[in-house]
Amino acid sequence: MTLLQLAINGVALGAAYALIALGFVFIVNATGAVNFAHGDLVMAGGYVAVGLGAMAPLPMIVLLPVVAAIMFVVGVVVSLVAYFPLINRPPSTVFISTLLIGIVLQNVFLVLFGPQAHAAPPLIQSGILHAGPVAISIQALGTLVVAGALIALQYLIFAHTQIGRRLRATAQDRQMAQAIGIRVHAVIAATFGAGTALAGVAGMLLANQFFVYPTGGIPLSVYAYIAVVVGGWGSIAGAVVGAMMISLFQVVVSAYVSYAVATGLLYLALLLVFFFRPQGIFGELVRRRV
Amino acid sequence: MLVSTWTLPSSTRQRAPKALAPAAIGLALAGITVGLAHAADAYMPIVMPITGFLSVEGGSQRNGAVMALEQAPGGMKVDFPIFDTGTSATGAATALDKALSSQKAIAAAVTVFGTEMVAMMPIAAEYKVPLLTISGLAKITESGNPYIFRFLPNDREIKVAHARYVVEVMKKTKIALISDTTAYGQGGFALLQEDFAKLGTKPVFEDNSIAPDTKDMSPLLARVKASGADVIVLHAVSTPMTLITKQIKSTGLNIPIVNSSSIVEPTATALFEPAELAGVCAETPSAPEARTTPAIKAWADAYLKRFGIEPDGLALGQYDGVMMALTLMSNGAKTAEDLRAALQKESYQGVAMTYKSNGHGDLAHDAEIVCWDGTSRIPKIVAHYAGDQLILK
Repeated sequence: MTLLQLAINGVALGAAYALIALGFVFIVNATGAVNFAHGDLVMAGGYVAVGLGAMAPLPMIVLLPVVAAIMFVVGVVVSLVAYFPLINRPPSTVFISTLLIGIVLQNVFLVLFGPQAHAAPPLIQSGILHAGPVAISIQALGTLVVAGALIALQYLIFAHTQIGRRLRATAQDRQMAQAIGIRVHAVIAATFGAGTALAGVAGMLLANQFFVYPTGGIPLSVYAYIAVVVGGWGSIAGAVVGAMMISLFQVVVSAYVSYAVATGLLYLALLLVFFFRPQGIFGELVRRRV
Repeated sequence: MLVSTWTLPSSTRQRAPKALAPAAIGLALAGITVGLAHAADAYMPIVMPITGFLSVEGGSQRNGAVMALEQAPGGMKVDFPIFDTGTSATGAATALDKALSSQKAIAAAVTVFGTEMVAMMPIAAEYKVPLLTISGLAKITESGNPYIFRFLPNDREIKVAHARYVVEVMKKTKIALISDTTAYGQGGFALLQEDFAKLGTKPVFEDNSIAPDTKDMSPLLARVKASGADVIVLHAVSTPMTLITKQIKSTGLNIPIVNSSSIVEPTATALFEPAELAGVCAETPSAPEARTTPAIKAWADAYLKRFGIEPDGLALGQYDGVMMALTLMSNGAKTAEDLRAALQKESYQGVAMTYKSNGHGDLAHDAEIVCWDGTSRIPKIVAHYAGDQLILK
């Protein structure tokens, strides 16, 4: 197995992590609150894919828009239950409410699907592509392409559309956005929906190779949090870079040392980032003015 | 010797509608009794991991215990509330304390998870209640606690079968030995190291640092490939084991893999196409899904009818353990102390094997090696080890 092959696997996994981190950062930007149900919403997307795959035996690439649409609605519902009733409370209250939503979701998965792991159908088909010494699964390549396309699409929407400008305005200053006529609550609900849709698609992409199971979202929430912190709080580019960093340590570095050592090196690297750039790789240094 | 008087009970003939399953699980999660609200003859709580990363294994053993309790011999009525440990040591200790403090228990059917067992053992000694377990962690019956009774082979024994099959039958010498970071994984890893040394070989590759939530196994398999190993010997819980077994095919690493028993669970094999299992073997205390004897076939068919899934060795081990306790109770064991004494001295012919304590609470001394031929998810038994064959000098 070559370094190139491992790098492709690492980037494919990182692309899925990046989608998760992007969804996480959308919600952070829109609300200022951390959504700790995010990993469980990734699993929810995986379970939706498993369920749809059982009902309609089609490649998941065909069902992707359906998964995204369902998860968008789920995200809006989460915002109505866990965010809006607490909108005037401190951010830590929302932190707890999303944590509770995550626990509820885990138990819903357990009741509906049982404790065992499930695999969703592949994006296109199962199998391995060979190119010289490199062998890579079609699913990993598909994950890379789909995640890359979605990351590019969200960039275009955020940077070059009126909807994106409203989203950014709401993220920067909710009161000012409201004052200039933006329907802030609708924008926040839509952001929860979009972030959850990205998480759900990531779950769909991961559910074929890596399975879904009720507690599978817990480490994903942690990865998303780390990616956003190391990339720069609220930075979309930072979230992508942070996610890639985690996956490259998990896949490439651990090919040369044990998993335990690779994990230790990952967290050491993160500490170094914080030491030299406390604001994160793409973060802006915030100074308090007296 | 006591002999199981196994018959198809009325409760298995009338299967509960599937729609009720979520409600039943919900009740179990809440720690609410699923035993009947009647004047029971005895109280035997079930304290197992219903949620958490070992919930698959916990679900199997719970099913085995429930099936036995529903079939209690002599018309005995036993209350058996189910308590969830959450796959954590603190959860297990709290759940067992809660279960034993609420009523006078004659025994408890408890977790497969060694880490949880270690936390439960002092509580069993405090309440003086026998624990009926299928946990493989060797040290739980090596610490002098007289209330621990194990109905699956001690890992110290079953790992001998694991190692002997690889070295003596497969004739492999370049072994890649891998485990996860759970207590189960670490314990089995150390035992396999010892057993391979006794068999005159040393693994060419060793890694016991696989976290249960690791997703991409390709770097691990790259290191295995670079080591020149000709077989993978894996001792892990279900999720990492399934991922390694599945991903090995996509790395171009064409060597056999001999797993621990987690892969024999039908919920694990359901994640594979039959062809993906070609060349995969595993140790297991028993393989009821292979239906190799009339008694096992009858039991496996009844289990399938009762729970809607194929059984595994964990379910059968827990079933036999609880049924042995119930049979001893039916034959006169009235108190927890009576039952503890009887479990220590009696032998019992269960569905899977004959159970007899070695004086330390280990009652099961049989192990099998199963392999898949790539045409079915049901494995075939390729080797059987028992008694002295499970001891290496």
